[in-house]
Amino acid sequence: MEIREYARPKSMDEAMHLIHEEHGTAIGGSAWLRTNTKTVMLGVDLSDLGLEYIREFQDHIEIGAMTTYRELETSLLLASRFGKIFSTAVGHIVGIQLRSIITVGGTVAGRYGFSDLNTTLCALGARVVFYPNIEEDLASFIEKGYAGPFLIEKIILPSSARAAYQQMRISENDFPIINTAVAWMGTEWRVAAGSRPAAARLCRNAMKILADSANPSNEQIEAAAQESSKELQFGSDIRASATYRQKILPVLVRRALLEVRG
Amino acid sequence: MTITIYINGKREILECQPGDMLTEVLRKAGYVEVKKGCDTASCGACTVLIEDKPVLSCSYLAVRADGKRITTIQGVAEEAKKFAQFLTAEGADQCGFCAPGFALTVLSMKKELRNPSEAEIRHYLSGNLCRCSGYEGQIRAIKKYLEAVHD
Repeated sequence: MEIREYARPKSMDEAMHLIHEEHGTAIGGSAWLRTNTKTVMLGVDLSDLGLEYIREFQDHIEIGAMTTYRELETSLLLASRFGKIFSTAVGHIVGIQLRSIITVGGTVAGRYGFSDLNTTLCALGARVVFYPNIEEDLASFIEKGYAGPFLIEKIILPSSARAAYQQMRISENDFPIINTAVAWMGTEWRVAAGSRPAAARLCRNAMKILADSANPSNEQIEAAAQESSKELQFGSDIRASATYRQKILPVLVRRALLEVRG
Repeated sequence: MTITIYINGKREILECQPGDMLTEVLRKAGYVEVKKGCDTASCGACTVLIEDKPVLSCSYLAVRADGKRITTIQGVAEEAKKFAQFLTAEGADQCGFCAPGFALTVLSMKKELRNPSEAEIRHYLSGNLCRCSGYEGQIRAIKKYLEAVHD
């Protein structure tokens, strides 16, 4: 990517002005710049905005947009509230050198189809906060996008959940062929699938089958797993065919549900 | 643009373009020990430490490094030489192209993890690809090195 002009704003207001009024392009982790052939007239580097944090509040957890994958992976707070789901979902991505660069906000903003993290965040019922203080369901944003320029400030998670992540990939460092994350939120199940190869979606019919029981039966789990592959659309690419993805997803959903239910 | 970075303790004022990645800027400034490998964030050969954290310099904007401390393998030469003796003893280094990034990651791991298991070592180093060794010799070398430095 060629960047003609560069700015590193010191405040959210300044960053928003550059993105909204000066048509700047936000630079999150910067990891994809190398392989992108676009020309950006103004790159707006978000690294001085104090958006690297994971904070706990009484009823939720906030993750700043510039928090890196490595911080998600090693956060004792996230591990204590969500188990191993974050370290499992992001811990295999290339290496710690890349995970120390790539950011939560960059991944969410990109709405990448192959993303392990977006699937996880959808399943956890995350909300995304656009500056200034516009809050939206993250799964809805991944599906529909945002009208006009935007600046992601943070991600909001519930205070805890029992959750699991499963994926299948050809090799350790490759993108997933298909992935899923499931979570028991205390009152409902959430099931998401991504890398179809399109972006993550909630499996709403599967969630209905699981209903509001913390201990769904084996039959309910099997039915939900099968339903997940019927209600989503799958595509073919160099990694796998649509049919193969459709066959694999129920296996992963079942494994993830069993992992959470115990 | 002009950036000021502190490379291996030395203050450097460097010229770069807004889209330049750190690998190129460091190499142009003479720090050729920073290897240009895949250049697509896959192999780990370009690893440097920024504020003591290992990062891929091929995917890190040089302008973002302005004001930061950067360590290349030359900045930890004494430690790296010691580690290299263990690599040599295990026959774990062949062409050597991946060695600077690999050694920097090992030294970073030594600081971050106390008595890592083999699984933890493999996980920590999964971003450093080596096309010669097959990794087994490297793992043996790391284990022996860590045992030696922790004794």
